[in-house]
Amino acid sequence: MSRFDGIQEGPLTIRREEVTKDLVLVFEGKSILRDPAEFLQPILIQVLDEADSEGKRLILDFSSLTYMNSSTYTPLVKTLERARLGNSQITVLYDADQKWQSVSFVALTIFATGDGRVAVVGKE
Amino acid sequence: MADEFRIDVKPDWAEVVRVNESTHDFLTSIALPEHVVDTFTMVACELVENGIKYGDNRRLTRSEVELIVSATSKTITVQVKNRISEETRFHLRQLDRTLQWVRGFQDPFQAYIERIKEISREPSTRGTSGLGIVRIAYEARAAIDFIVGEDDTINVSAVAKVSR
Repeated sequence: MSRFDGIQEGPLTIRREEVTKDLVLVFEGKSILRDPAEFLQPILIQVLDEADSEGKRLILDFSSLTYMNSSTYTPLVKTLERARLGNSQITVLYDADQKWQSVSFVALTIFATGDGRVAVVGKE
Repeated sequence: MADEFRIDVKPDWAEVVRVNESTHDFLTSIALPEHVVDTFTMVACELVENGIKYGDNRRLTRSEVELIVSATSKTITVQVKNRISEETRFHLRQLDRTLQWVRGFQDPFQAYIERIKEISREPSTRGTSGLGIVRIAYEARAAIDFIVGEDDTINVSAVAKVSR
């Protein structure tokens, strides 16, 4: 399978950024996908596997999103659960100054592990 | 006197972007705080998404989804009306079960957490997240209800107190 380098789908853009120790996916725009599980889940599984194989932390940065429908949470929740049950390192970043993001994403902290391997972090 | 915004939405997923932008613009124009604008834009989009997904898709020429957003000094009401068919009627039972389930929690945040836990355990093939209604109850603190008319039209409403 070819490396995932990013994609645009309607008003949603996903960019890949390579940082020395991390594999970063930056989500921008609005996620109004009808079936994010079908569209997004394979992408998240692929990049999580890539990060694992390279010993990197996967960072999913949602802080630039201006809207996200509830269906988009499904693949995100499943990816966090997959990481929690395995050995992956993953961080979900959101914008703590945007109230809709802090209200929505705070619920995902239930997947956070005590050792920080799985983390959900609000950027100040 | 209420400020009101109405649009007819074609049963086409691309329309959700227009709903998102126009609802956001309306709520901003009546000088609501930014977080209230974001929250009730979400409510409108989630309800319209359901109207498109579970409406009567056979009647494409006349089965539009109608969105009405109204705001008084104390409340915001979001209503979505659309036709249903026999094929999509079972979603009403699912909607009713979800509403009853959410009302069983003292704090809708707990319902939201529980639903997210359930999603994490469900197979990916389930198809629908069922999170939209729970999210509206939690994030908008809205009372959600629905009425089915004799003409096979469903009217789903979310009403919440708000400070302007």
